[in-house]
Amino acid sequence: MDNIVPVDSIPTKAKNDGKIGRIFGRAILYLILIIGAIIFIFPFFWMISNSLMTLGETITRRLLPQVPQWDNYRQAWQQAKFSKYFLNSVLVTLGTLAGLLFTSILAGYAFGRIDFKGKNILFGLFLATMMIPESVTLIPNYMLIRGAIIPLPGGTWINTYWALTLPFMANAFSIFLLRQFFAQVPNELWDAARMDGCDHLRFLIQIVLPISKAAVLTVLLFGFTASWNAFQWPLLVTTRDTWRPLMVGLYGFITEAGPNTHLLMAGAVITIIPILIVYFLTQKQFTQGIATTGLK
Amino acid sequence: MTESTLIEQPKRIGLKRLKAREQLTGYLFILPALIIILIFGIFPIGYSIYMSLFDWRVVKGPFIGDRNYLMIFGSWKNVGIVSAGIALFYAGSKVWGKAFQSLRNGQKIARLIGALILILGGVVFITGWMQMYETGNSEFLDSLIVTLYYALGTVPAEVIFGLVLAYILYQDIVGKEAFRMIYFLPYITPSISSAVVFQIIFSSRETSLANQFIGLFGISPLKWRFEPRPVLQLLGFNVSGIGGGPSLALLTIIFFGIWSFIGYNTVIFLSGLGNIPKEIYEAAEIDGSNSWNRFWYITIPMISPVTFYLTLIGFIGTFKAFNHIYVLRTPSAQNTVITASLMIFDRFYRANQYGIATAQAIVLFVIILGLTLIQNNVLGKQVFYG
Repeated sequence: MDNIVPVDSIPTKAKNDGKIGRIFGRAILYLILIIGAIIFIFPFFWMISNSLMTLGETITRRLLPQVPQWDNYRQAWQQAKFSKYFLNSVLVTLGTLAGLLFTSILAGYAFGRIDFKGKNILFGLFLATMMIPESVTLIPNYMLIRGAIIPLPGGTWINTYWALTLPFMANAFSIFLLRQFFAQVPNELWDAARMDGCDHLRFLIQIVLPISKAAVLTVLLFGFTASWNAFQWPLLVTTRDTWRPLMVGLYGFITEAGPNTHLLMAGAVITIIPILIVYFLTQKQFTQGIATTGLK
Repeated sequence: MTESTLIEQPKRIGLKRLKAREQLTGYLFILPALIIILIFGIFPIGYSIYMSLFDWRVVKGPFIGDRNYLMIFGSWKNVGIVSAGIALFYAGSKVWGKAFQSLRNGQKIARLIGALILILGGVVFITGWMQMYETGNSEFLDSLIVTLYYALGTVPAEVIFGLVLAYILYQDIVGKEAFRMIYFLPYITPSISSAVVFQIIFSSRETSLANQFIGLFGISPLKWRFEPRPVLQLLGFNVSGIGGGPSLALLTIIFFGIWSFIGYNTVIFLSGLGNIPKEIYEAAEIDGSNSWNRFWYITIPMISPVTFYLTLIGFIGTFKAFNHIYVLRTPSAQNTVITASLMIFDRFYRANQYGIATAQAIVLFVIILGLTLIQNNVLGKQVFYG
């Protein structure tokens, strides 16, 4: 995004605003941005500061704790059984992402670079699924996972790893995003590669993927967020702790923690940390991915 | 793969076989995704329709045909009246829109006719709706109205604030990256975790943060998430019930929706702004237009495809919204915060009425389809694709 020339740096012919007026105008812009930033940040600040308070301090509504109570985190971690849920969430997210990347990279490549019959119809069908609300798919999928529609190996998949991962191992959005990116790869590259005896799979792995890092990381970030943040479906298909993920655990902790706001906030902070790490790591590529994919 | 051997001697193999190979590779590549999407994305629609035709409670009961649907609407006649109202409304807007293109002398008459049809459509729609309300499932119909409030309360605000913030960020701002990063933060945060914080900020305690804040303006403490009364009633208007506008509890949830979604719109708008050719701005500036005019006459039309896209997915998103409402709802807010997706989930998860729940889900799906088509048709026409 470095090549964009901001509107204000374009030399002006008609400079009717005075210098003071200009400075004033800029100040207002910054003021709006800063107020916006405060509003967006504030709940996070509140979450963190409350997580370090004593119970008394959360009731008197101080802004900051007098002495940070780091022990709150240990207590929340133990009381909410987070060590189990955290590991579950990590494993579920990793599995889902592996499947998601596998299916959407292949499909995105096929839709973007290979000609085959019925391609447009299939692509349209894929895109149409983005419009379907979970309310419609939820109940039949639940029946399916329960083994009530077709017999499943093992009888029922409730409380299994597959129930949490398999349904999310492909989605239209990721395929669409990657397709947009792959389609922009110059045809000359493919022609040259084919001359060297390269087939589609090798071309995809050795040439297309390395130059599509931004798009892949964008899919990764969105996929990670969706899987880590998932709640409704895991709530349905986990009736025991075996595979219950962090978000369902946190939801259960709301009633369990009751008036212990400080512990609840510590729990909330714990659930956010992995997302923040992934976000900060992929931030740059992600922005680039959104920009180059072009949503037109 | 045998493909590499094929490429090694391309001349020996006919072009036809080469093409067949290409086709096969294409199908093989999409196969994994296709299987998953077919099973978990498309098959459920058919199966939902199937389930909705039975008296299905956990296990399949007797076939009851359209009874689950009749329970929602009262009668098919009501559906007919409501659809006729929508059709009239649509026709009216078409006539009105055409009026702008037709000859000058015909304009007034065409517009008058258009307006009349619009009003008629509205009247017919409301008549049908009232009948449905009396004879059908008012609970579900209420949840549709709550969904509508939620959509109207969140989507326009998200789009407008998103555009404003993006436009400001686009103006050579110091720390642009940092601002963008902060704005996007709420969007990727798990909604359960951030909703928990909103729970505490908007609690009904007198010392809650929200109450302390309004106290600065001399407003006495409110019950926020626990307040089922419409906002308008609290402001002194003589309204009540679901028809009286969104409740304060719903407004709190709307705040959350706006807070968490603006950043996404900002990021998408920002990349859209980068795609507008800067020559247009230069030309306008040479012609002596001021910055407000440039925003209004260049940016707004040029960015309209993005605006359209964001409005569409915003609306679809409100019909899907679930997690944060599930966390932020309170029993005392009653049904004023139950959107359609929550209603359906409760029917299914708590009441175990699978048949009714799937029927409601199908109705919701049809409504989303209809809205998407209308938005495509009405809004999509006004989008400027440079």
